[in-house]
Amino acid sequence: MKKETEARVIVFTSEAEMPMMPASVASTLYNKTGSWRYMRPLYKNQTPPCNAACPAGEDIVMHLQLTAQGRYAEAWETLVRENPFPGVCGRVCPHPCESECNREYLGGAIAIHCQERFLADYAAAHHLSLPTTNVPQREEQIAVIGAGPAGLSCAYHLRRMGYQVTVFEAGEKPGGMMRLIPEYRLPKEVLEREIAAIIALGVEVKTGMRLGVDLALKDLQGYAAVFLAIGQSVSRRLDVPGEDAVGVLHGIDFLARVERGQKVDLGKKVAVIGGGNTAMDAARTARRLGADVTILYRRSRAEMPAIDEEVHETLDEGVKIEFLRAPVAVLTANGRVRGLRLTRIELGAPDASGRRRPVPVAGSEYELEFDTVIPALGQVADLTFLSAEVQTERGRIITDEKTATTRLPIFAGGDAATGFGTVTAAVGSGKRAALAIDSFLRGVERPFPDLAQNVQVAPRPHDPNVVRFEDLNTAYFEEIPRPPQDQRPAAQRVTTFQEVNLGYGEDVALAEARRCFSCGTCNECDNCLIFCPDVAVLRGPSDDEPFVFNYDYCKGCGICVSECPRRAILFAEEIKFNDQ
Amino acid sequence: MRKVVTGNYAVSWGAKLARAQVIAAYPITPQTSIIEKLASFCANGEMDARFIKVESEHSAMAACIGASAVGARAFTATSGQGLLLMHEVVHWAAGARLPIVMGVVNRAIAPGWSIWTEQNDTLSQRDTGWIQFYCETNQEVLDTTIQAFKIAEKVFLPAMIVLDAFVLSHTSEAVDIPEQAEVDAFLPPYRPPLKLDPEDPRAFGALVLPGEYMELRYKMQKAMEQALSVAEEVDREWGERFGRSWGLVEPYRLDDAELALVTSGTVTGTSREVVDALREEGVKIGLLKVRLFRPFPHQIIREMLAGVRKVAVIDRNISFGDSGVFAQEVRAALYHADKRPPVFDFVAGLGGRDIVPETIREIVDYTVTHDAPTEEFTWVGVKI
Repeated sequence: MKKETEARVIVFTSEAEMPMMPASVASTLYNKTGSWRYMRPLYKNQTPPCNAACPAGEDIVMHLQLTAQGRYAEAWETLVRENPFPGVCGRVCPHPCESECNREYLGGAIAIHCQERFLADYAAAHHLSLPTTNVPQREEQIAVIGAGPAGLSCAYHLRRMGYQVTVFEAGEKPGGMMRLIPEYRLPKEVLEREIAAIIALGVEVKTGMRLGVDLALKDLQGYAAVFLAIGQSVSRRLDVPGEDAVGVLHGIDFLARVERGQKVDLGKKVAVIGGGNTAMDAARTARRLGADVTILYRRSRAEMPAIDEEVHETLDEGVKIEFLRAPVAVLTANGRVRGLRLTRIELGAPDASGRRRPVPVAGSEYELEFDTVIPALGQVADLTFLSAEVQTERGRIITDEKTATTRLPIFAGGDAATGFGTVTAAVGSGKRAALAIDSFLRGVERPFPDLAQNVQVAPRPHDPNVVRFEDLNTAYFEEIPRPPQDQRPAAQRVTTFQEVNLGYGEDVALAEARRCFSCGTCNECDNCLIFCPDVAVLRGPSDDEPFVFNYDYCKGCGICVSECPRRAILFAEEIKFNDQ
Repeated sequence: MRKVVTGNYAVSWGAKLARAQVIAAYPITPQTSIIEKLASFCANGEMDARFIKVESEHSAMAACIGASAVGARAFTATSGQGLLLMHEVVHWAAGARLPIVMGVVNRAIAPGWSIWTEQNDTLSQRDTGWIQFYCETNQEVLDTTIQAFKIAEKVFLPAMIVLDAFVLSHTSEAVDIPEQAEVDAFLPPYRPPLKLDPEDPRAFGALVLPGEYMELRYKMQKAMEQALSVAEEVDREWGERFGRSWGLVEPYRLDDAELALVTSGTVTGTSREVVDALREEGVKIGLLKVRLFRPFPHQIIREMLAGVRKVAVIDRNISFGDSGVFAQEVRAALYHADKRPPVFDFVAGLGGRDIVPETIREIVDYTVTHDAPTEEFTWVGVKI
């Protein structure tokens, strides 16, 4: 190898010939100090906890980064690349992302759902269209059964991949369970807008087509694949005497009637039975219709499956919640509800769900008067129309991690297959099915994590390791409180179906996005560039690669790794690399 | 523009007018307001400089060294313990011949913990190769800060501007703040002869064998010697441009004096009053203020003190096991004089204890009533 620089020996004969301080006369570039390295830094984005926790597989960190730069349209595009329902999810998602957010320890989790809603509202206000994909159109026709969040998400993603999609919906309008979410939580306008945007991409929706009634599975044989997203539409029963009396109205049936604008005579006193989101929706809707509402829940506050904020809002609106109560019988007079016989409950040992099992307290029964009883104990899927080839287990369609049923090319997802029970999980499930159907039809392999994890259409290169608070360099972050979201006052809320939560304005959304740590995700803060004592961090060739290491001179000191505030640089033993 | 500012703000204004480009500093009482002011100058855009917050004074000086090495005009300020923590790189700055300027507020060394004035912190940096100025007034602080950049950049040695804690640092005086354009005309941008360049990297400060090391030290000493005449010339130019000059040393009523006080820092101002009062009483007394301590102006001091019968040095410092440091220097300077007056040394005002006119009168009384010192130095005001 040719030496880059000839060694020069200078013999000084007097001080006058010498420089005033010792400095080499030739460049030191020939001295590739990278050979001293035994640890190697690597730019490798890690997984932010919010992204890992999002059932819809959104790239939350990236849309927050873009929002933080005021690039709202791009942030929204990043969001809808994975989830076509940001306006819905920003309002109704229980936001497991926020539960995992590392900001929690320095001022409170980022209000991710408010950010999502802000972007959706921004896109609507600016009439942004869903971004097109520019892929070749494909011949294959796909049938999607059910126009709920899973079905529409699947249809959306398949359409973006170029497939021809027809969605068959049993109801009069598409939307599924999303349509039953009361107006004060999810204005219909938001839902309609997001559904219309999907249809505008060229997805065909046929309503009033119930599988097993208007349509049979065998009618779908002309389709290259079928995705079953039929949801859970059958209410669980109380299984107590008197349940079929007039005045017992199941939660989703009640909500559906209100949604259709039908008059519902509730009387004065209403009991809602259950502790989930449907129970809250039913109670708050009944409250708005002028009733005196009591929720009866058989466990305690800690076990309630409803979103925490929902419970607070419900209580704020004057709904009473009685814990550790269960109905023993519906009391009737002339075939009409007059009240409930209730028993007190004690919590016993944990059951299969991990929650403590409710045990009736002997001799504790008592009666209360009610005009209407609304059981909201959850739903199960109606799977009676399925042939034996599509196997089910405990009320759910069996699928593998690729959403494939036991009878290909039939796939299944959403609540009927997973039972996850949220819009966001259904969106993720539909997306997984779209990717799986595409892989199946094109015969390509792609990795699918198990159903508890999410999938992404456009994953950025990243390491699966999830960044935790202790991985961050918190010296770079100040404690900044999470801004509250404006809300309509409770007294005003109970007289109207107008939206309760009012979202964030641009200023707040911008500040909130800037509060994000950007865990594991480089946001070009330049710290590595500034701190590298060897000038071995260089600006990279593109936005996708903002920095590169000059390994010729990187001594592996690790300062960049420890000064990266967000753990976007890995540090590995040099022995693992054979490229030098 | 005349403004009422503290001694610390006078330092800040000096650094601002000198257009320092990099300021790396760590706060320490009583220096803090210097860098607070500079930080606000940087933050509100009045100053086009990079303010680097660091985790220690060692890092502050290290950052200044880096900045100066790439050719930026670098400034920092510290005090007491901070200066001591910085010590290793204080040497480095001088050895690397980087004309960094540093404001140092004299603060007594712990333990016992103290925030008040005393010169031991800066005098313990005596042999690092830094130019040192000790200032008497806020105007002098401001002028000297700007002058220091010019001197430092001519001889390639770093310079300290030293001021007493609180007595000067936190005391407000009316100060003439020169126009930026006039300062720009006085102080051109820094043009280093040797510059660190990441595009064409060189080894800076590398190993030097015994065959060459001594020559480098010879060159530092030559630069220090040169600094004497440069400082004089720069001060003269300052005088021409701004109508004020300060001298390397300043004689006060010394012409016919039989007894000379030798002072530095704010003690000088008090001593002037006492000299005036004693002159009224018929005592033939004068004063010599030492402004430039490194390089030490031996020749001038020798000439100025050769005619007096007695010299009394006031030292707000102590070299343990010897005497006050200024007295050592003055004695050494006089050693080669034909006529050597006895040099009395008084160690006073340590840890910020006030040196008031009565203290100085006590020193004068002692000197007048003794033919020669009976010991290396005399403690003043110690409760023995």
